[in-house]
Amino acid sequence: MSTFLKLLFRNRLAAMGAVVLGAILLLVLVTPILPLHDPDITATADRFKRPFTEGHLLGTDHLGRDLLSRLLHGTRLSLAIGVAAALIAATIGSAIGIVAGYFGGRTDNIIMRGVDMLMAFPYILLALAIVAALGPGLMNALIAVAAVNVPFFARNIRGITVGLAGHEFIDAARLAGMGHTRIILTELLPNVLPVIVIAMSTTVGWMILETAGLSFLGLGSQPPQADLGSMLGEARSAMISHPHTSIVPGVMIFLIVMSINLLGDGVRDALDPRLRSGALSRPRATTLVERQGDIPAATDDLLAIQELETQFHVGNRIYRAVGGVSLAVKSGECLGVIGESGSGKSVTALSVMGLVASPPGVITGGAVRFQGEDLIGAPYETLRRKRGDRVAYIFQDPLSTLHPLYRIGQQLAEAIQSHHKIGSAEARSRAIRLLKDVRIPNAEARVDNFPHEMSGGMRQRVGIAMALANEPDVIIADEPTTALDVTVQAQILSLLDDLRRDRGLAIIFITHDFGVVAQLCDRVAVMYAGRIVEEGPTKAVLDAPAHPYTKRLIACVPELGGGRRELAAIPGLPPVVDDLPPGCAFAPRCDKAQDNCRAAEVVLLGNEPRAVRCLYPEEAI
Amino acid sequence: MRGAMMGGYILKRLISAVPVLLGITIIVFLIMSLIPGDPATAILGSYATPENVEKLNRDLGLDKPMVQRYFIWLGNMLTGDFGRSFSLNRPVLDEIVERFSATLILAGTAFVLCSVLGVLAGVVSAARQYGLADKAITFIVLIGISVPSFFLGMMMILLFAVNLRWLPVSGMYAIYGGGDLPDLLNHLIMPALALAAVATGVIARLARSAMLEVLRQDYIRTARAKGVPERRVIMGHALRAAMVSIIPVLGIQAGFVLSGAVYIEIVFQWPGVGRMLVEAILKRDLLLVQGGVVFVAACYVMFNIAVDVAQSLLDPRIKT
Amino acid sequence: MPLLSWTRRGLVAAVGAAFLIGGLGGPVVAQTPPGVLIVGQIAEPKSLDPAAVTAVNDFRILVNVYEGLTRYKSGTLEVEPALATSWDISEDGTQYTFTLRDGVTFHDGTPFNAEAVKFNFDRMLDENHPYHDTGPFPLSFFFGAVQSTEVVDDMTVKFTLNAPYAPFLSNLAYPTGLIVSPAAVEAHGKEFGRNPSGTGPFKFAEWRSNEAVVVERNDGYWGEAAGTQAVVFRPITDANTRVAEMLAGGIDMMVEVPPTSLGQFSGGGFSVAEQAGPHVWFLILNAKEGPFADKRVRQAANYAINKEAIVNDVLEGTASVAAGPTPPAFAWAYNEALDPYPYDPEKAKALIAEAGADGATLTFYVTEGGSGMLDPVPMGTAIQADLQAVGFDVKIETYEWNTFLGEVNPGLEGKADMAEMAWMTNDPDTLPYLALRSEAWPDKGGFNSGYYANPKVDELLDAARTATDQDERARLYREMQEIVQEDAPWVFVANWKQNAVTNDRVENFGLEPSFLLHLQGVVKN
Repeated sequence: MSTFLKLLFRNRLAAMGAVVLGAILLLVLVTPILPLHDPDITATADRFKRPFTEGHLLGTDHLGRDLLSRLLHGTRLSLAIGVAAALIAATIGSAIGIVAGYFGGRTDNIIMRGVDMLMAFPYILLALAIVAALGPGLMNALIAVAAVNVPFFARNIRGITVGLAGHEFIDAARLAGMGHTRIILTELLPNVLPVIVIAMSTTVGWMILETAGLSFLGLGSQPPQADLGSMLGEARSAMISHPHTSIVPGVMIFLIVMSINLLGDGVRDALDPRLRSGALSRPRATTLVERQGDIPAATDDLLAIQELETQFHVGNRIYRAVGGVSLAVKSGECLGVIGESGSGKSVTALSVMGLVASPPGVITGGAVRFQGEDLIGAPYETLRRKRGDRVAYIFQDPLSTLHPLYRIGQQLAEAIQSHHKIGSAEARSRAIRLLKDVRIPNAEARVDNFPHEMSGGMRQRVGIAMALANEPDVIIADEPTTALDVTVQAQILSLLDDLRRDRGLAIIFITHDFGVVAQLCDRVAVMYAGRIVEEGPTKAVLDAPAHPYTKRLIACVPELGGGRRELAAIPGLPPVVDDLPPGCAFAPRCDKAQDNCRAAEVVLLGNEPRAVRCLYPEEAI
Repeated sequence: MRGAMMGGYILKRLISAVPVLLGITIIVFLIMSLIPGDPATAILGSYATPENVEKLNRDLGLDKPMVQRYFIWLGNMLTGDFGRSFSLNRPVLDEIVERFSATLILAGTAFVLCSVLGVLAGVVSAARQYGLADKAITFIVLIGISVPSFFLGMMMILLFAVNLRWLPVSGMYAIYGGGDLPDLLNHLIMPALALAAVATGVIARLARSAMLEVLRQDYIRTARAKGVPERRVIMGHALRAAMVSIIPVLGIQAGFVLSGAVYIEIVFQWPGVGRMLVEAILKRDLLLVQGGVVFVAACYVMFNIAVDVAQSLLDPRIKT
Repeated sequence: MPLLSWTRRGLVAAVGAAFLIGGLGGPVVAQTPPGVLIVGQIAEPKSLDPAAVTAVNDFRILVNVYEGLTRYKSGTLEVEPALATSWDISEDGTQYTFTLRDGVTFHDGTPFNAEAVKFNFDRMLDENHPYHDTGPFPLSFFFGAVQSTEVVDDMTVKFTLNAPYAPFLSNLAYPTGLIVSPAAVEAHGKEFGRNPSGTGPFKFAEWRSNEAVVVERNDGYWGEAAGTQAVVFRPITDANTRVAEMLAGGIDMMVEVPPTSLGQFSGGGFSVAEQAGPHVWFLILNAKEGPFADKRVRQAANYAINKEAIVNDVLEGTASVAAGPTPPAFAWAYNEALDPYPYDPEKAKALIAEAGADGATLTFYVTEGGSGMLDPVPMGTAIQADLQAVGFDVKIETYEWNTFLGEVNPGLEGKADMAEMAWMTNDPDTLPYLALRSEAWPDKGGFNSGYYANPKVDELLDAARTATDQDERARLYREMQEIVQEDAPWVFVANWKQNAVTNDRVENFGLEPSFLLHLQGVVKN
């Protein structure tokens, strides 16, 4: 609850909405005990007094009634009406939606046709007709407004219910012999309720606006009773001559509806689990750079990552995802980066071209040099020209990394056209050639497929083809085979290996599978908790792992090429990177750890090309 | 092949619209029969004595039983005869067509305005999340959705027409001279903006959250990794994907714009169908109300089918 | 920096938009052309067939296009010759013989003659007439007394009534009696209402639905030619918009200015015309049951309501306090000796206490609008407050006009204690005859919804209706007014002063007590 409130009030707009609404509610609650004029007492001689007249803070209306008093009483009534109408509409609409969504089939069909009918009926006319049929009065206006909103709730809630009804827990409940009513009440409703509540809260404002609209058409509360809508309606004839009489209720309606909306948005965001992780922010075009400290000097590597530090800033917490990583590749070389999930290997890879989602990502130190040029903090356009052209990426899950709404040919062509001015016909033929290069059969037909029409392996080939489109110097492959089954994985790996040898590509290959590293990479770097704990030529590391963590990782791969293995063999979990232990990050899970392991930072030591970050290495290097 | 499938899909949707429309004819007929007060009273006004009312009802053919009247009406309508409006003394269909086209111009313009402005505002707002533009847009959008449209309309008249005299107060064409396109646009600016305000706000808010959702997707990172210029990432990749969730809302908002036109048509004296229907209900002009509602509802249903078709054209994953 | 660049861009866009709007707006908001009078109407006309319409709004157009056999003398409600130059009334008051004006032609070129007159009345009254189906003719009962219409010769026509009926001449001057061209009816059938043809100073030119009805000067008019080239009637249903159009110069003239907006036109550039008319705004009191069954309580209501405040404050002086059932506009029949009930809440309280009606709960029907109802909701609210002040507990129920009529006309019994009502009539006979006689109780087909009954009043009204001598009629009406005021079946609230605003380019404009809008003499510069 307190996190919820904290999140809510971190959103300053929502906080403002809460404060305004709170103030209005408070005023309205104490209205009966405030020293106000009677809202219904007329004094026609004192009509249309301007605001701040003595005795009438907001002036008087066309019958000389005190506007402040009418405003507060009217707000009270309007809020009550808005809430009641929203409640009624939500209850009935949700009930209809849940029933339709849960039972499905013919019930659903009939109910939804009915809802369609009501929605096709112009809603103001429906409300007008309902009021005309029921007779005058605020209660009937309330019923009309609620009734015309029922279909919207029904439709929304049905959609959500249909999604839920397919879930296992509903089937389980059914198998357990629960009756329909019980399933709906105990299984479905609790899951739908938050949506209903949020939809309802935002509807309250809408309801107040709509009752105001009905008053505009002359249907609403019975005089002399004041509600905001009828105040606005009554003031309409004096709008030109005495605008304050309409502005007073108008501003109040505005304040209420606005604060309800702001608060509603805030509540929705605060309830959204993704906001807590900071993921509801849109990522910028390049990662934010707030570099402190010295920038390392250039080297002669093709691509050099130097003492890179990348952090995630979420609220007041700082996650050190990458804590000073240095890596380098030369042309034609393949470097493997290996580690568990959360070890910072993907973040390292994405930092290279500034692709870490930001917010929350921030690059706080180090450099990334491509042919000696520092890319960290480079202008967007410089970075963009290199992205996909000189340094290309292959990502993990090709279903989510390919755009679902573009044909793959378009996506390939776009990769080329972003860097080269060529016609669409030529781009298409090059796309076909690329598809052939990655050994996609029937490329001429496949080029017009959408991603969802292809198999996983085919999609990953498309991903590779896209990376190759501009014949880059470096390819960064971020777990490109993880989502694939073993045989496809082997094909993809051999494809990459061939390409590297044919084209002299440098590859940074990120994986958590030593089997894959052994098959493809010249060198390997092992990452743990955002740092490199061991590096060296693949064979040397595999044959004689020096870091206890590396050893355990390798132990997880009984046979080369044996496919994916879970790293469950290592007890415990990697540390959370916002709370790293002072010494070796692996110490809590390491059975060889001594007190001095935990005391102070351990440095990466060794002779080129091998190094290890351990006080008690398994092998001396 | 896809084209043929689409054709079948449209046909299927059209057929399923028939019972909906039939239901609407029944609802509107019932409602109009249940409303107290009858056309004769409405016509005769203060002179509605029982015998005058009875005679007039006989002249109007309202003395027959309800069920019989419904089927006569439905049958006539199927042959294209919507009957005669007694409050306007002319064929219902003429009046509806004339006024619906006025509404179409107004609501259509407002709909285009709110779609374009709303989506654009949402996109900018999302692309500059928490930036100044985002805050400014959020604020303007909130004003749009928090002010009753008729209030906004009247304020606009006061400012732009009465005080500044930039724009005409009301109507669709200048009464004298005019009648051309610039004249129409001139009369259209205020009502279209006032009508679009609320929907723009709703769409902008939705577009913003849809864009934020999409911008976090992996394929946006892919596009950036390819070196696609940011403008294209936002306006192409992200927007296209976001449209999948925006389009259904556009469909719903179209209904609101069409309905909300009632207020705007009254304030700006736009000769549209919404105002006509309100007046017809008040005058108990049964045939005009019934015909008008059926016509509007049919258009709304068609529009929704078009929205669904657009949706399935945009998103190849939807099965048609 | 981002702030600066953004605001600068915003500024440029705003200025650009302003120029665009300004540029577009420039030429169109020009003044309306001279010689063309643009009138803001309150609604789209239903039809331009005088026999088919009932609304004052439609009459305002019709009286400029058509003429009747008689008309109201300018500035009065007295009848004078129009298309008929003279008439004879038989001794027994059942035969009216009219001599018609020579050389008058309809706008379609056909001549006006006795056949045309007969055609008009037969169309309305004879169910077997071939063009009776161009109806319905809701106000045909105005001529319900007409038994037959005969063509005596080409220029003489004779009406035979089934009984003496004094208001007949006045009804002929009413718009329902306007004469249409038979040829045009034959040519257009049911569409005649959109293709009207009469004999008036203006002829129909164009009807653009919901935009305008345009009439042009009839150069072949038998009388003095109209002062303007054309008149455009623009329907603007929303009162605020109508005021805004007037202020912005989009219309030259508007009628029924909302009282609260009158102040807007007090400055230069506009002139406001006012004219009291045959209108009375009253509250029907349920004399059959409840507290108002007691005459003292009915009188108390008349004392309790501050009518001065209502007409001067709520209505901003657009009405005067009513004294009795007959409006002063019927000067010849009005009882000058009658004084309105004064505002005297103390006396009201005393009367209520006397009748033992303290704290009675009253149901009050209020309408939201309607013909002649002025500002019914604010007025109802003010009345409610006044009655509350003398100890009644008043519950308002508002109804939209047609529902309201549907509730009130069948009688208030069992539903309500009081209801708002207003009538505009053309003869002092109409209202009391239809709404005060015991023979006019709702179950007998009248409008006496409050069930007032006084045999003396019945007697006086019957006598006045059949008397052909105007002085005799006047005497009877004056006596009736005294009795009715004392009996207080209604609360007599207001007599409306119709108003209209014109801008300074309009000259020679005046309103008529008949509420009709004669534009023949108006000039526009």
